[in-house]
Amino acid sequence: MEPSLQLPLLERAQSGDEAFRLTTAKDAAESLLASLCGLRSDVVLPAPPGPGEQYRFHFDMTKCIGCKCCVVACNEQNGNPADILWRRVGEIEGGVYPSTQRHYLSMGCNHCVEPTCMTGCPVDAYSKDSVTGIVRHSADACIGCQYCTWNCSYGVPQYNEERGVVGKCDMCYGRLTQSQLPACVAACPEGAIRIETVRVEDWRRDYRAGANSPGMPSADHSLSTTRITLPGRVAQNLRKADVNRIQPEHPHWPLVVMTVLTQLSVGAFAAIWLLQLRGTHMHRMAALAALLSAGIALGASTLHLGRPIYAWRALRMWRRSWLSREVLLFSVFALVAAAYSAALWLDLRRAPALGALTVLTGLAGIGASARLYLAPGRPAWNAPFTFVEFYLTAALLGALPAGLLGGVTPVVQSIFTLAGMATVAAGAGKLFWLYCSPVHELRGSGVLLLTVLSTPLLARYVLLAAGLMSLPFVHGAPALAAVTALVAAGEFLSRYLFFVSVVPTNMAAQYLAPEAA
Amino acid sequence: MKLTRWLARKSGLDTRAGEYAYGEDAVMGYTAQARHAERWVNTTCGYCSVGCGMQIGVRDGVAVSVRGNPEHPVNRGKLCPKGLAEHHSITAEGRAKHPLLREQGMLKRVSWEKAIDTLAERMRAVQRRHGQESVGVISTGQLVTEEFYALGKLVQLGLGTRHYDGNTTLCMSTAVAGYKRSFGSDGPPGAYEDFEKADVILLIGANIAENHPILCMRLDANPARTVIVADPRVTKTAMMADVYLPVKPRSDLALLNAMLRVIVEEGLYDREYVERHTTGFDELRASLQGVTLEAAAQITGIAPEVIRKVALLYARAERPFIGWTMGVNHSTKGTETVNAINNLALITGNIGQPGASPFSITGQCNAMGTREAGFSSSLPGYRKFESARDREELARLWNVDVERIPAQRGLAYPDIIEAAVAGRIRALWIIGTNPLVSFPNIDLLKHALGNLEFLVVQDGFHPTPTTDLADLVLPAAIWGEKEGTYTNSERRVSKVNAAVAPPGGARSDFDIFLAVAERLGCREEIYPGWQSPGDAFAEWRKVSQARLCDYSGMTYAALEEHGGIQWPFAEGSGEAPAAARRLYADGVFQTEDGRARLLQTEWTPFPEQPSAEFPLVLNTGRTVEHWHTRTKTGAISILERMAPRAWLEMNPVDAGRQSLRPHDRVEVISARGRVSRVELRITEIVAPGQVFLPFHFFETNANQLTQSAFDPVSREPNFKQCAVRVERSPLNTREAARATFPDA
Repeated sequence: MEPSLQLPLLERAQSGDEAFRLTTAKDAAESLLASLCGLRSDVVLPAPPGPGEQYRFHFDMTKCIGCKCCVVACNEQNGNPADILWRRVGEIEGGVYPSTQRHYLSMGCNHCVEPTCMTGCPVDAYSKDSVTGIVRHSADACIGCQYCTWNCSYGVPQYNEERGVVGKCDMCYGRLTQSQLPACVAACPEGAIRIETVRVEDWRRDYRAGANSPGMPSADHSLSTTRITLPGRVAQNLRKADVNRIQPEHPHWPLVVMTVLTQLSVGAFAAIWLLQLRGTHMHRMAALAALLSAGIALGASTLHLGRPIYAWRALRMWRRSWLSREVLLFSVFALVAAAYSAALWLDLRRAPALGALTVLTGLAGIGASARLYLAPGRPAWNAPFTFVEFYLTAALLGALPAGLLGGVTPVVQSIFTLAGMATVAAGAGKLFWLYCSPVHELRGSGVLLLTVLSTPLLARYVLLAAGLMSLPFVHGAPALAAVTALVAAGEFLSRYLFFVSVVPTNMAAQYLAPEAA
Repeated sequence: MKLTRWLARKSGLDTRAGEYAYGEDAVMGYTAQARHAERWVNTTCGYCSVGCGMQIGVRDGVAVSVRGNPEHPVNRGKLCPKGLAEHHSITAEGRAKHPLLREQGMLKRVSWEKAIDTLAERMRAVQRRHGQESVGVISTGQLVTEEFYALGKLVQLGLGTRHYDGNTTLCMSTAVAGYKRSFGSDGPPGAYEDFEKADVILLIGANIAENHPILCMRLDANPARTVIVADPRVTKTAMMADVYLPVKPRSDLALLNAMLRVIVEEGLYDREYVERHTTGFDELRASLQGVTLEAAAQITGIAPEVIRKVALLYARAERPFIGWTMGVNHSTKGTETVNAINNLALITGNIGQPGASPFSITGQCNAMGTREAGFSSSLPGYRKFESARDREELARLWNVDVERIPAQRGLAYPDIIEAAVAGRIRALWIIGTNPLVSFPNIDLLKHALGNLEFLVVQDGFHPTPTTDLADLVLPAAIWGEKEGTYTNSERRVSKVNAAVAPPGGARSDFDIFLAVAERLGCREEIYPGWQSPGDAFAEWRKVSQARLCDYSGMTYAALEEHGGIQWPFAEGSGEAPAAARRLYADGVFQTEDGRARLLQTEWTPFPEQPSAEFPLVLNTGRTVEHWHTRTKTGAISILERMAPRAWLEMNPVDAGRQSLRPHDRVEVISARGRVSRVELRITEIVAPGQVFLPFHFFETNANQLTQSAFDPVSREPNFKQCAVRVERSPLNTREAARATFPDA
């Protein structure tokens, strides 16, 4: 049973309702509720936030001994399986023996002033509570797109695969409404985690000193509200204990298929339309194939969702979410492309205009598609390279059908060659940018590509080069189709690498990965 | 049905929403409904010796949640991560549910009757062939005191062998031996309250932040404290220190003696106390002549002025407290080190005063119970084997012939193992412990167990590495399934209760002992009229009466009411049950002349020094998420998630020399064996020349490396130092493909 979205008790208290008394430090000793939370008088809830204020966590690193009681208490409180931790403890280390410094970070959700999880969410599953400022997530509304897991630079929202939805720390909202302490606060034997009230405007001004810490991503992205008390003396080289551990991310196969096929479809429609403009050819079968490709792409994208039957909800937040916009634009693209294809079959006069609209919405869709990957929490995606990669895939995979349909003309040849060379250049440039970056996550992506992922990386360029070099010597549709397949395979590989090689920003973790490397 | 559910889930219906539902609970507050209980059972935590009061939530006969008891004086509602997940140990996979007997090499399910018959017949057969004392028993520190008391009687009076010891000898027998030598009896003199009242707290080889986190809470409640931590490793506890002493391995004794020398030489000791309450001061003083600050600095790696400063801090403190654990105990010099600690406390008169005591922080939840209930290092109630008076008193209490009470202790745990190697012990009954992970030099242990004609293992879990070798497995109830009492480090006796029934045919250890006694034909003699642990407790109250560990004023009801009571609590003493009690506040000790002994001690290097072949010193220890050999915690997913496997800590200097990288898999090799494929952690937590490996993990068993070297008095193994070398493991294909971030 979900507690009411309002906080009637707090509101009543704020409005000065005498009948309702909030637990305060003074009377906590004899408070039944305090003892229910497993507590004596040492920790109590602060007064409820007033206008312009919100609740936040305070984490005192000087008190934390890294016992991880908060982690266990959180999982018990929320009934989560062991692989989903809404509160995590990470280790940071620095100094030189014996002046070694080892400290711990305990983090739930930071209940940001500008929550990126919320602004990205396509279905409005997130809300920032108007009274407490708590960033809440509704499992009912969630469709399991996991976009928030990319947008949060702290890795707070976690996808529960078993259930098909994301979940996250809500500061034990349901407990707070009953004047009970959050589970982590109640469990901490050191009193290192507290709830406090903050004036949002003050925090906007001063957050940098309080919200940032070694081992934590910058608070700039979303204005984290968690206040962290650091030890007085902090070693210069204090860094994440897991700093040397990087591992490939999830490949998100449906998204690999979806992005490449939408780009192929847009590229193909562009070719069909341009050929139509240049001559009289009506590439009806090709249009059907490109439409099919768009259809498969959209179908595949729903397989990415934890709750595919609610995919339509993703249209909802188009005013705010780039994911919604992508879905919207590609849906429009698919409709217009269907109309265009029908027009081609019916030899309608207006076909070229529809073709132009198809290409326009398609290109806009690719733009939205690329834009949504520009998440601060995924630094390797958060760069113009993403646009370049996505549009180049469209160009490469559009030029080849053009050749297939209208013959490998010099124009087609040069578009394909240019796009191919641009792809190589962009790939090399990105790799250089990644590997030489001083940013840990970017360099990590570069390292991943050149080590664990070096084989698929090499294969990706071998496939492209094979396509580029064989095209001038290829004659006949079957051979050209084979080249197209080669190049398309290269693009799929490239997109796979895009997904697996990203190193997300995150808080420090424990030294050992949960799964053996 | 399954298919429709799968389809529903895959299509996006939230079919599991019910499992994640929340609701308001009268006790837990607003929390996951899966944790809501219909009744709560008060008990005491079954992991370590802090002795936290807790409550088990039960619904439909299943333990669904736990919480710290907010009223309990020890933990005030808090629990460590193991405690917070303790209900999962009851419902964990791998519980032993039925007696199993090995037939043609295979363990097969048998009835309890058959199991008990087999145990009795085969033990007796071995005794007939090889002599009465050819059977041994190795127990644990994790049964209830009532069971220890029952087991001691059963082994001594029923089976008729003295060779009975527990895994407590791997843990705190050194503290026992040290206390006995200094004060004439075992028994930690202090109370947890001392953490809050002391002005100087010296922790030696005690990583309480990792192993006793709830005690840190008591430390935090003390704003006036100065915390000094002596540990070769920068532990979590070292991070809490005001003064951290990065001592070289096994140099604590040199540190303590140098401190003693400073205090004696500068006249900072309590002359009056020394004269009235101790003997041996002159000899001690003479023995310190050779101990210079410079020599100590060489040995410990601590600058002379720092040693002096620490000595002065201790000597000038009003209420100085010394706490120690396994860093001291796990050593061939352990007992002497405890005596040096006691010397420090004695010459400054800091024993049994509020805030001031030499305090052994014990390991297991009821290691103290084994010490009190006796039959290993002493007779029940801290009576001495050597004392004819004690033996006669016991014989009278039990109504048995005094000749049946031995005048000398039997073999200690390591000596039982040695005797099994030599063929003098032919049958062994192992109860509630897993030596295949916890005993040093595992190959020798395997050899010993392989020599046996009959091995019985009684445990709550099966298979464990040890039950795998058993001829007979007896499935036992565990924490949460049985009743009795535990005694914690501060001598607080707390009640332990059954919340649920044991799984399958598992029975409480108490019931098993009663059944064995019945079968041996001695039940009425040794357990007159006993049906439940309460009957044993009633007898134990009488047996402990007027002893240092006096339980006579305690009842189960009173223990429940007050969240445990510290002994001594004599019947009719008029003391408030809840009052903090300490020992020796009056300066009267348990020796014949009532005086404590100041003992001479001498530092020597640890037995296996590093060499060209084995250039590194291996230190072993624990991590907060796991308990001992992981029989329980390894089956609890949240704890496994947080500490999934072992790791080896190595300083960057040593790693650089061998071009090792973080997360490399390495082999750790000693003269005795090898641990393969441990994940390397290159860290400044350990000093150059030292490496650290947690011992919990059977898969990467630190005790393949440790040596068979034991304290001459306590017989505790020298777990903490041995010589090893480290090599990179051959890469497997998966790892060859693993990326490691190059050091920036």
